Amino acid sequence: MIKVLVAKPGLDGHDRGAKIIARALRDAGMEVIYTGIRQTPEQIVQTAIDEDVDVVGISILSGAHMKLVPRILELLKNNNSDVAVFVGGIIPEEDAMELKKSGVVEVYGPGTPISEVVERIKGYFEHANV
Amino acid sequence: MQMSESQILDGIRSGNRKYFAKLLSICEDDPAKANHLISNLEKHTAHLIGITGSPGVGKSSIINAILDKSDDKRLGIIAIDPSSPFTGGALLGDRIRMQSHATSKNFFIRSFASRGTVGGLSPSIFEACDAFETFGVDSVFIETVGVGQSDVEIANVADTVIVLLSPDGGDEIQMMKAGLMEIADIFVINKSDNPLSKGLFSKLKNILEMSKKDIPIFLTNSITGDGIDNLIKTLEKRFSLMLENGSLAEKRKKRVVKHAQAILRKKIDRIFETINADRLNIEEIEKEAIRKICNKL
Repeated sequence: MIKVLVAKPGLDGHDRGAKIIARALRDAGMEVIYTGIRQTPEQIVQTAIDEDVDVVGISILSGAHMKLVPRILELLKNNNSDVAVFVGGIIPEEDAMELKKSGVVEVYGPGTPISEVVERIKGYFEHANV
Repeated sequence: MQMSESQILDGIRSGNRKYFAKLLSICEDDPAKANHLISNLEKHTAHLIGITGSPGVGKSSIINAILDKSDDKRLGIIAIDPSSPFTGGALLGDRIRMQSHATSKNFFIRSFASRGTVGGLSPSIFEACDAFETFGVDSVFIETVGVGQSDVEIANVADTVIVLLSPDGGDEIQMMKAGLMEIADIFVINKSDNPLSKGLFSKLKNILEMSKKDIPIFLTNSITGDGIDNLIKTLEKRFSLMLENGSLAEKRKKRVVKHAQAILRKKIDRIFETINADRLNIEEIEKEAIRKICNKL
């Protein structure tokens, strides 16, 4: 069973995308926890640890991704967590490259087919023991 | 992340949340291993409080309101939401209402999916409660799935059952029905700002008097916090009384039997999944199941 935390950090309240992804992952047979909007990196990381999830999916549309995502990665690292981090939202390509270099598994922009996200997450765990 | 048994045990003994979180995952994925680990840890009796009621009645919100006023306590929260009978997936959304407490050192909130069990709980609910008792919490709040009239399993798990009602929940005939309305140790009418709540209060009071039952009824508002202090005080008093008069020990004894029954039921369910029904009629399936059970046990 793959457990996913769908998290929405920062100040933007547009969570239609996060909800659609949460619903799609549910329909793909995963257990999905949704944090709701306006979460701090600290809240997201503590929730990921307490819920013992395999994946954290971060949805961010506000443009603050280069501040918030690295902070989440740093806090996860401080907690020795090996959870897989995915990011979705309005992310320019050069930022996406940088985020991936610093440990994000994949960054998805607008128009990504949902099936692609589902398959990527499933594929990521195919060889792992979850 | 792979962790050895001794790492998990040491981690929990030193109060590390990450290891406790892992123990809760083991409760879900491998209950037999979880029971083994739990038996190696010291347990502190905690007040197991079930909160049940229909979907949307405010179960998560009232837990949040209780957390708002419980800074000095160590509390565990088990929040259960339904799994899909078709895909096995689940959307666990109870946490959203309590998320302002996510970073609190004294509270541990954990979401569980019902994973095919009926009755509004998780198949590993007994193990999960036992696990929380090894983590040194004062109380564990168990939030059931939004339930219907006959989901009464929580009464076998919790020391105290709170049945939460919504002011527009129906007439007195609904309240006279068997099932959910019979398992309450405490009734809470939530959303007390709704003018209908006072009417429900007096209807419920009348019906309880008719059946000569002395069950407290509270009116609460989870958003303003009205009525929450009284509810907390009553829960505390009830727990110390149960410890004193031996009724807790009595309940826990019965609970062990229910736990064993739950384990056995799960095994039997698994045996039924292995029966090939193509060539068998009902009677033969029954016999085949009994034969397999006798071989296994």
